Amino acid sequence: MSQPYGLLAEFSNHEDLLRAAKEAYAAGFRKMDAFAPFPVEGLPEALGKKTRLPLLVLIGGIIGGVGAYYMEWYANAVSYVINIGGRPIHSWPAFIPITFELTVLGAGLTAFFFSLGLSGLPRPHHPLFNVPEFERASQDRFFLCIETRDSKFNSDQTRAFLKSLNPLSVAEVPE
Amino acid sequence: MNAILDGSDSRAKNVALGLGIIGISGCLIGWFIAPRDFFVAYLFGHFFFLGLSLGSLALLMIHHLTAGDWGYAVRRFLESAVANLPLLALLFVPIFFGLSNLYPWQNRGVVSADETLKMYLNPAGFVFRTAMVFAVWIIMAGRLLKWSAEQDLTVSLEPTRKMRTLSGPGLVIYPVTMTFAAVDWLMSMEADWYSTMFPILICIGHLLSALALVILLLAWAAPSSALAPLATEKAFHDLGNLLLAFTMMWAYLAFGQLLVIWSGNLPHEISWYLHRVADGWKWIAIFIALFHFFVPFFLLLMRAAKERRRMLARIAACVLAAHIVAVWWTIAPGVYTKQFYVGWLAPAAFLGIGGIYAFAFLKNLERRRLVPQNDPRLALSVPT
Repeated sequence: MSQPYGLLAEFSNHEDLLRAAKEAYAAGFRKMDAFAPFPVEGLPEALGKKTRLPLLVLIGGIIGGVGAYYMEWYANAVSYVINIGGRPIHSWPAFIPITFELTVLGAGLTAFFFSLGLSGLPRPHHPLFNVPEFERASQDRFFLCIETRDSKFNSDQTRAFLKSLNPLSVAEVPE
Repeated sequence: MNAILDGSDSRAKNVALGLGIIGISGCLIGWFIAPRDFFVAYLFGHFFFLGLSLGSLALLMIHHLTAGDWGYAVRRFLESAVANLPLLALLFVPIFFGLSNLYPWQNRGVVSADETLKMYLNPAGFVFRTAMVFAVWIIMAGRLLKWSAEQDLTVSLEPTRKMRTLSGPGLVIYPVTMTFAAVDWLMSMEADWYSTMFPILICIGHLLSALALVILLLAWAAPSSALAPLATEKAFHDLGNLLLAFTMMWAYLAFGQLLVIWSGNLPHEISWYLHRVADGWKWIAIFIALFHFFVPFFLLLMRAAKERRRMLARIAACVLAAHIVAVWWTIAPGVYTKQFYVGWLAPAAFLGIGGIYAFAFLKNLERRRLVPQNDPRLALSVPT
């Protein structure tokens, strides 16, 4: 039998989960994740999760905006010069709406695809689904999973540590 | 700081009152030697501080409806600004004597405005509509302040429920009344010019300046007053997000109005912008674009800038300062159409009205405890 994926602790409310996550982080665990039916404020920070998504979205937005303005400038002032109502060829006020729209589009698409990509989606199966209790993570239960690939992971000690956090149950997650 | 807020240190109040008296004396001299310059400057000073109070009224009503954490920390600042509305109504009276200096429709020599327009734009109508809008604002402000004081003394939910009930319609009434006011006081300074987007742009400017003011006050008072437990990183983050939202909203509307008028390019519309980019006014317009939008916008995108008290206070100060310039740029080029102008009367009127405003503001503030009492939703907001 191969090595299990990790150990899963089950909690009944988000406060217990948040406290457990903080204690696990303080105990030195890093390769872990938490699961809750709703977004729990402060949980990503408690787990020590940092995301590059905001920076990527900013870059996506800037590419969209600059690209849009360049496209309009090139089309109107260089490639196909046309006199519209006697206005200057390079009429910046007219370019702003498209620049704005493509900034939003660039940022939005970046956010959509990178939030999927960075979280490893799409993914048809995950070892956590092998634990029957885990089904309730989308209903009324809160889970903390410490993975075996964590350098501090030790089957017995980690199980004892999770037990010390007063969970409803601790289960092994088969690979 | 706390001593200033609770009234045990009266120096700040006295300084404000002193500056106010000096400014108003300067204005009185100006009234005699240069009446037109005086009225422009006075309208500018008055309108900026009126914006702080009306913006506070709208923010207060938004908070009564939504009850975010941010609002409890700044509630008393907002209420103190709102309580200045009767004072501002009184301070508006001198403008009634300057109609012929400010408004072309009152200037028989210049305008041959058609008769229909004159049925609306005439001194009696101006005074009547001004009195009406002030009455509506003062009544709404009075009710909210009365119920807020009642809530401090009782655990019953009734006063909070009443404030919420008034706030919904109140947020509709404010832009509607402000439309009448903006048409009369500002838009009609330029013969024939109109823009349907203008009043709502003015309203958002009010909200933005009021928000910047209360952020500044909270950042400054937070560490040493009773507000310390409420002035959390999260509260500043929320206030910073609101500031970002109103900054974007303001820029969106300001640009929207420009785009529509620029595209139409009709003489009676575009003249408003031509006056505002003539000569030195152009540089003022660029300054406003930079410091009313681009600089605060990009800074406020950063989470760290919103959570840090000092950084957020600097951004708010930038927005507030830029808004003072924007109010002058909105009003003054209507009279000084050919070239940039700012005389000594503008700072005098600003200081005069501002000094009295600040004095009354501090007076209002010291009357009540800084932290709202007995609000049923506040208990959830205080971190445990």
